[in-house]
Amino acid sequence: MKASEEKKVAFFGKITAGIAHEMKNVLAIIRESSGLMEDIMSLSPEALISYQEKFKNSLSKIKDQIDRGVELTDRLNKFAHSSDETIAKIDLNEIVEQLITLSQRFARLKNVVLKTDPRQRSDQPVIIETFPVQLQMALFACIDSCLNVIPSGSEIFIRSHKKGEKYAVHVACEGNISSPTDLARHILTSDQWPELEGIVASLGGSVELDSSGPGIWLFLSKE
Amino acid sequence: MTKPKLLLVDDEEEFVDTLAERLHLRGFQVLTATDGEGALRLIEKELPQVVVLDVMMPGQGGLEVLQQIKTRTPRIPVILLTGHGATADGIEGMRLGAYDYLVKPINIDELIKKMLEAVST
Repeated sequence: MKASEEKKVAFFGKITAGIAHEMKNVLAIIRESSGLMEDIMSLSPEALISYQEKFKNSLSKIKDQIDRGVELTDRLNKFAHSSDETIAKIDLNEIVEQLITLSQRFARLKNVVLKTDPRQRSDQPVIIETFPVQLQMALFACIDSCLNVIPSGSEIFIRSHKKGEKYAVHVACEGNISSPTDLARHILTSDQWPELEGIVASLGGSVELDSSGPGIWLFLSKE
Repeated sequence: MTKPKLLLVDDEEEFVDTLAERLHLRGFQVLTATDGEGALRLIEKELPQVVVLDVMMPGQGGLEVLQQIKTRTPRIPVILLTGHGATADGIEGMRLGAYDYLVKPINIDELIKKMLEAVST
C-alpha cells in the first residue's frame, strides 16, 4: 500500500473510532435513562406519581440522545461515502460542519470547544470541485494541529471565506492564550505541519500560518 | 449487607447523573464527579469505599486519575469503565491497580456485583 493510501486508511480509522466511542456514550445514556424509567415503574403506583418529573426527564434525555445519535450516524454515513468519488463537487460549508461534528470528541478530550465561527454570515452553499477525502484530511490536520498546542478551556472557530477566485477556510484558536506567537511556532515546527502542507498541495491549494490567534489559513482553488 | 458509599466519575454528565439516580434507588450513597480533578477532591473529602471511573475523560484521563488514587488512597478499589475496542485500557488499568473494568454501555446488576465484590475483598 502506498504511503498516501495508508494515511487515508489511518484517517478513516481515527474518525470512525471516535464516532463509535461517541455512539457508545449515546447508548449508555439511553440505557441508563430507560433503566431508570423501568426502576420507577417497578415501584408502587404512588411512587410513580411522585417520580413523574424524573420519568419525564428520562424520556427527554432519551429523545435528546436519539437526536445526537441520528446526527452522528448521518455525518458518519456522509463521511463514509466521501470516498465514493475521487473528485466531486462539494459544499465547503457542509464539509466544515461535518468535520466539526466528527472531531467533537477529540476537542472535548482536550477540553476545547470546536464550532463554526458565529461571525460566519452566509449559510449559502459554497460549491467547489475537489478531492473530498483529502480536503477532510486537511481540515482535520488543521484542527488536530491546533488541539495539540492550545491550552485547556480554549476555543477553535472555523469559517469559510471567498477570496477572489479562491476559497479559504480559517481555523482560529481563541481563549486564554498568553503567547500566540509561541503557539504558532509550535504548530509550524510540529511533525504535522509538513504533512498538512503535503495534503493541501495535493489539493492544488496552499496553507498559511496565522500567528495572531494563532490560526491556520487553508487556501483552495475553485476547481 | 450495608451498601457502600461510592463515587461515579464520567465526563458524560447525563450518564453519571442517571446512573447515580438508579444506584440511589437501590440504597447506595452515591457521589458524582465529571472530571479527574473533581474526583480527587471528593475522594480526599468524602473517602468513598469504591470508585467507578471512566477511562476516557477530558483533562486528566482515567488512567492518570487511577494512578493518583492508588498513590494517595491505595485501599480504595477502583472499577474502570472502558469502551468496546478499548479493553487494552482496562487491562493496563488493572496493571496499574484497578480492581476490574467494565465495558460501556454497562449492565447495572453487573456493576453492583463488581462493586460489592471489590469492597468485600
